[in-house]
Amino acid sequence: MLNEILSALYAVATFQNLLIMIAGIWGGVLIGAVPGMTGTMAVTLALPFTYYMDPVPSILLLVALYKGSTYGGSVSAILIRTPGTASAACTALDGHPLAQQGKAGKALNMALYSSVIGDFISNISLIFFAAPLAILALKVGPPEYFMLMLFALTTVAGVSGNSLLLGLISAMLGLLLATVGEDMYGSFRFDFVPDMQSGLNVAPVLVGLFALPELIKLVVLRAAKTEQAAKLGDQKVTRAEFMGSLRSILRGSVIGSVLGAVPGIGPSAAAFFSYGEAQRSSKRGANFGKGELEGIAASESANNGACGATMIPLLALGVPGDVITGVMLGAFMIQGLTPGPLLFQTNIHEIYMLLIGMLVSSVLLFFAGKVTMRMFSKVALIPQTLLTPLVLMLCLIGIYSINSSMFDVAVLLVMGIVGFGMFLLNIPTAPFLIAFILGPMLEENLRRALAMSRGDLSVLLSSPITWIFSVLIVLIIAMTVRREVQKSKDRKAHS
Amino acid sequence: MTKSVFRGLLIAAFFAVVAFALVPVYVPRPAFIPGFAPPPDMWPRLTAITGIGLSVIAAFLPPAVEPPIEGDGSPMARKIVRAVVLFAAFFLYLTLVPWIGFLASTILLTLAAIALTGERTRVLWALGIGVIGTILVMMFFQSALGTQFPAGQLVKLLGL
Repeated sequence: MLNEILSALYAVATFQNLLIMIAGIWGGVLIGAVPGMTGTMAVTLALPFTYYMDPVPSILLLVALYKGSTYGGSVSAILIRTPGTASAACTALDGHPLAQQGKAGKALNMALYSSVIGDFISNISLIFFAAPLAILALKVGPPEYFMLMLFALTTVAGVSGNSLLLGLISAMLGLLLATVGEDMYGSFRFDFVPDMQSGLNVAPVLVGLFALPELIKLVVLRAAKTEQAAKLGDQKVTRAEFMGSLRSILRGSVIGSVLGAVPGIGPSAAAFFSYGEAQRSSKRGANFGKGELEGIAASESANNGACGATMIPLLALGVPGDVITGVMLGAFMIQGLTPGPLLFQTNIHEIYMLLIGMLVSSVLLFFAGKVTMRMFSKVALIPQTLLTPLVLMLCLIGIYSINSSMFDVAVLLVMGIVGFGMFLLNIPTAPFLIAFILGPMLEENLRRALAMSRGDLSVLLSSPITWIFSVLIVLIIAMTVRREVQKSKDRKAHS
Repeated sequence: MTKSVFRGLLIAAFFAVVAFALVPVYVPRPAFIPGFAPPPDMWPRLTAITGIGLSVIAAFLPPAVEPPIEGDGSPMARKIVRAVVLFAAFFLYLTLVPWIGFLASTILLTLAAIALTGERTRVLWALGIGVIGTILVMMFFQSALGTQFPAGQLVKLLGL
């Protein structure tokens, strides 16, 4: 085994492979940082190039793009409150307030350190737990999936904004929007125009909800007229700050690794879940959403922590964990490799090369992040009156280019208006987004569970796993209500 | 009417319209549903009815903190006019793309957005971002990623 590992290490450590990984990571960071450009887009665009490459370098390129873009999403989330990717939505909640306080550099550094640690731990988990975790994930049925996602949704609703009720309402709106289009049995729902038959894409909804309200606020309220875009400012993350967030980083990495290994969950849900857990358990939980480094640490460690772990079911069982690993499955097939248990027997050399390459790419992510951070600091020189229209222009072009669809552009603009309305009504947008992403899976699993049980709702409490999640949901609600009552009492006492 | 009551009732009304007006019309039940699978309207109806319940509760249980909405102190009427003009610009953009093409429309919307933010001093920068920036970004997408942007009927007619 040691010989095989050394042989794989020797094969990975070539100038060509390193160059491919550097290009992938750096390109991914840049693409992820541009609003409207997603990691999926980066990986999909690179797929045709892999035709001309050897198997392992081609997969390493795609993995590097995935990792880079997942971190890159945090750059624009922090500097201009526009998450480049869905998984960076939580990062914007604390990152942008920190940027407004002149601590953008500190926020970016914390995001980078957390991402690298999360990514590294995720890769380790991939190496050691690939087969057992994937087998466990495969044994989880629709009722367990449904309760797991309901738990994630409740957590997100509880931690976003100032009210659990408003968070839940936001989640309901997101779930409702997710029902647009074809359902699992082929029925079309709310297809007011033909383009709606295939449902609403995540990218225009996400970018519209998070990026455009900033422009609308600036135009309508003119609150930030004299405010400059975020400067890097204070950059150094002190030892105390890092140690204060270490627990959340490690927990986020584990959450990312576990949820990433469950097919269908992915980095976005992991980031939201980790953020919620960190806020719930942190002494500084009340500061979350106002510029708390620990919030960034929790979110970024989890979303990058999920990257490596999404490869677990892909490699061990041939089941892609999300859209990006679905594209990677295609890349494996192009190279004549079939992911699954047999791959560990027939292509163990390639597997070792891939695992070592992924560990190396964690280190490269650190350097790419540092270099890109300085580059993106130039954004700080642009006044908001120019930056937000520039973001609008990038969003319009980026969103159109995903599917060459003007309908997506219309969705982007409408969601911008919806996001502004939600801001005026003080309704948090994060539960809306995560509910929109999880909605189809949530519904599918509920309907499958009910179909399996012949319509008997008790199937949702039929196994120890569903019981555990039910208890956790009740606990989360109880604790959130208690926190809100306490907050209300404190406020009355102060006034 | 307080903000929380207005918000709660507004959202409850939205969910009610979805549950009782849109779902019956726009979520048709298929004639045959295999096995014991719930029908396609089960989930949207359940979500909307839960939303009604939550919104009504939220109307009468305001959150502990209602953060103030900051602005430049302009009267409400002026803010409404600004919003209407911006939303009209969005609508006009979507209408114009099939006629004058994606490039010209995007340049116009970007310039309009800059003007609407109140930017009056950095005209060259505004033109640079609005015109040159848009052209460069579109060129990148067109050449590197192969995106084909709509040219527009008028542009085609004029042979540009």
